[in-house]
Amino acid sequence: MSATAARRAVIALAVVILAAFPLVSGNLYLQNLLIMTFLLAIGAGGWNIMGGYAGYISLGNSLFIGLGAYTTGILAVRAHLSPFVGCLAGGLVCALAAAVLSLVTRRTRGMYFVIVTFAALQLLGIVATTWSGLTGGSQGLALPLPTWSLSHQNWPFYYPLLALLVLAVAVSTWVRRSKLGLGLFAIADDEDKAAGLGVRTDIYKMIAFVFGGTFVGIAGGLYAYYVSFLNVAAVFDVVTSVLIVLAALLGGRGTLWGPVLGAFILEPLANFTSTGLGGADAGAIRLLLFGGLLGAVVLFLPRGVLPTVTRAWSRVQAGRPTTPALATTPAAATPPAAATPPASAATPAPATTPTATTLAPATTPAPALTPGAGSGLAVLTRDRALPAAGDALQARGLVKTFGGLRAVDGVDLTVTAARITGLLGPNGSGKTTLFNLIDGTVSASSGQVILAGRSLGHRGRAARAHAGLARTYQLPRLFPSLTVAENVAAAQRRFSFRQLWLPRVSADERARAIDVLSGLGLAGYADSNPAELSYGQRKLIELAQVLWLDPVLLMLDEPAAGISPALAQRLAGMVRSLQRHGVAILLVEHDLAFLASLCDHVYVMANGKIIASGTVTEVSGDPAVVDAYLGDEVALAAAERTA
Amino acid sequence: MTELAQTLIFGVLIGSVYALMATGLTLTFGVMKIVNMAQGAFLVLSAYLCYGLWSRFGIDPLLGGFIVTVPMAILGVALYRLVIERVQRIDPGLTIVATFALALVVEACITLIWGPDPTASTPAYFNQAFRLGSVVVPRAQFYACLLAVGVTVALQAIVRRSWLGHAITAASENPEGARLVGVQPARVGAWIFAIATASSAFGGAALSFLYQFTPDSQDVWIGLTLSVVILGGLGSIPGAFAAGLLLGVAEAVTSTYISVRWSAAVPTLLILVVLLIRPQGLFTRAARPDAAT
Repeated sequence: MSATAARRAVIALAVVILAAFPLVSGNLYLQNLLIMTFLLAIGAGGWNIMGGYAGYISLGNSLFIGLGAYTTGILAVRAHLSPFVGCLAGGLVCALAAAVLSLVTRRTRGMYFVIVTFAALQLLGIVATTWSGLTGGSQGLALPLPTWSLSHQNWPFYYPLLALLVLAVAVSTWVRRSKLGLGLFAIADDEDKAAGLGVRTDIYKMIAFVFGGTFVGIAGGLYAYYVSFLNVAAVFDVVTSVLIVLAALLGGRGTLWGPVLGAFILEPLANFTSTGLGGADAGAIRLLLFGGLLGAVVLFLPRGVLPTVTRAWSRVQAGRPTTPALATTPAAATPPAAATPPASAATPAPATTPTATTLAPATTPAPALTPGAGSGLAVLTRDRALPAAGDALQARGLVKTFGGLRAVDGVDLTVTAARITGLLGPNGSGKTTLFNLIDGTVSASSGQVILAGRSLGHRGRAARAHAGLARTYQLPRLFPSLTVAENVAAAQRRFSFRQLWLPRVSADERARAIDVLSGLGLAGYADSNPAELSYGQRKLIELAQVLWLDPVLLMLDEPAAGISPALAQRLAGMVRSLQRHGVAILLVEHDLAFLASLCDHVYVMANGKIIASGTVTEVSGDPAVVDAYLGDEVALAAAERTA
Repeated sequence: MTELAQTLIFGVLIGSVYALMATGLTLTFGVMKIVNMAQGAFLVLSAYLCYGLWSRFGIDPLLGGFIVTVPMAILGVALYRLVIERVQRIDPGLTIVATFALALVVEACITLIWGPDPTASTPAYFNQAFRLGSVVVPRAQFYACLLAVGVTVALQAIVRRSWLGHAITAASENPEGARLVGVQPARVGAWIFAIATASSAFGGAALSFLYQFTPDSQDVWIGLTLSVVILGGLGSIPGAFAAGLLLGVAEAVTSTYISVRWSAAVPTLLILVVLLIRPQGLFTRAARPDAAT
């Protein structure tokens, strides 16, 4: 029986046992425990979509329980709406709240989200206490009592919550496997890079947070009916938030089953402390226990139970065939600590024969130079109307000031379609800032960027990628929790909601990705982890990502720096064939020979300004250029003499 | 008119205390980009320690604050060495979760030691007041305001003028470069945490005679200090001071003209509004976003 089949059998069995339990046993204590466990599992699973997949930790997720519970309670008391219907309204209110809160992540990152969720929890607690006309305030809110026969025990709570848990896990599974999940994992790894590849990070994060919040909100509504009395301190409780985060971290953040497992470990403990502990100090001991446990998990088990166990298991498995009795396999046999959950544990490591495959095309760079099938350029579908000639990019009067420093000081620059344009300049002259202005990483103080005749205005990074603007980085930035093929397919030419639900990498996309990779001599690496590859190979994969965008303009930031001459040749070949396909290329490079072999036209920057332009030969004879490059050293030498 | 002047004076006095309470958070957040969610618990702990000194030995909380800096500084170093440094290596994103866990542990310990009931130091001046014409200036709040100004000026001087301050700035802006010129970021980090938590002793001292406090009021104080830091921008000390004043005035105006009960919502509401509209804070220019790379 394969591992997948075994896992499916275990899951199916668990669901059947849970479903049959209340029918077989009339133990109300255990029913109550399971109901609370389902609730926590739904909470932790919902938290995990934003906190695990996208990497945005929230410390206020119990606010959704509170919102769901109070919405349901208020509707039941004031509008006599059945809580089983009201809880859906609770889910809707939570979805709205999640959407609003996720707006905070449009311009800020990690810790601000933590703060904002925490603040929102506090604020809602204050509002619920103060707005007593609606919520009953500190008096609490009593819901109508259930009217069904006692012989039904807690079934009307048990089964909807179990169904909701199954649904939440199903949605979570499906998010992981879809393009939405691919984008979320990319966001967790490197959000700026993901945006540069056309991923609408704002929409992805909003959907992730809304999913999580909605399920918790519905569960909160059922919880309200179950406890039938709401008071602010218990419902908007920060300890509940802690339990949610703790369950997810304990089980395994970012994994599918970790949060559920964590809930099943944690809830019995929580239940014991709330019923088993008595006396004045019970609350403090509970706090000490869960605070301490949260700290201990962060410090000593940051990956969580599930990934730790899976890793140990795969280590045992890997060690079995080769080492018969005394298992003393060195650490080298274990795969590097990948941030990916167990799903990718099956990734074959092709690291056994890397040299053979990588060096082979280097000696014969010819195939990479001929465009057509197998060159990797098949990915350029050319469904975009490229300017056949004329200006692909115009920068007009671009200025960027940082305080008093004018990092880019009135730059005018034109990159012609189907031409390779070079950009030269000493370190600190503003080249990378210029790239950041053009691709929208940094917004310009003044000036305009015009791509294929259209001004980009204040468009965001993803929109610029969709418009056909692509760049690579001086140090390659890949997503370590995705495979190489997923890294390539993470790039998106346009945004559509329909596309989000498609599988991570379709068969067709995979074939195309392998085609691109083989054009770069990396065919065997589609399922590798980028961390296993060399620096030069990662640069090539970054090139494959931007090819996927079908760019009008490609900006390369020191593509040949720090890589072997063979790889540099392969890269140059790729750049030339792109040029022949009509792509405009802007290249930052210090290697004059490399530039001269590729570029028709170069610009030279110094102190944020363009000081010369022309062919490489022309500018290298320009006294202003010589001064810009050597002036620093001459000045420094003079300073040293006087010092 | 008198009512407005009175409200503003209350607001300014309270606001300066808010800024004082937030100084620890301002330092770690501004210099190391670390949010210490245990700041509220540290404030309450300091308040209890000051209360203990006052009730046992009759030491005035204003003086007690200086004594309490010593154990708080030790706590700060221990926090940095045992928790922060380790978590930063494991996953920097979890630092805030770890300090949050610490906050709960500290709250639990305070409850176990001192019990859950409301407490307050009541030195002779705690309910006296000066009169300026028709305007009342409570003595306790006036002294707390002086303490706040003193601590803020001293901290600003340390950061701007001393070698340590320069080392702190260097290590936060460029750890590698700082190492090259002989600054050890780990040691600097320990110093920052020592200073930051020590400064919360003064916040706690003010808290101990200005308010009734309970162990679980740390929740309120962490919300409030976060609000000050976020309003003030990326951890600038003068920015946080201005933010504290603004917050104090906003609360005073809300409780005078709207309702005392709603004034509790002001800090958290401001956090949400500021982070949605102007995440870089109200009192700073936008930082260079690409400078970190």
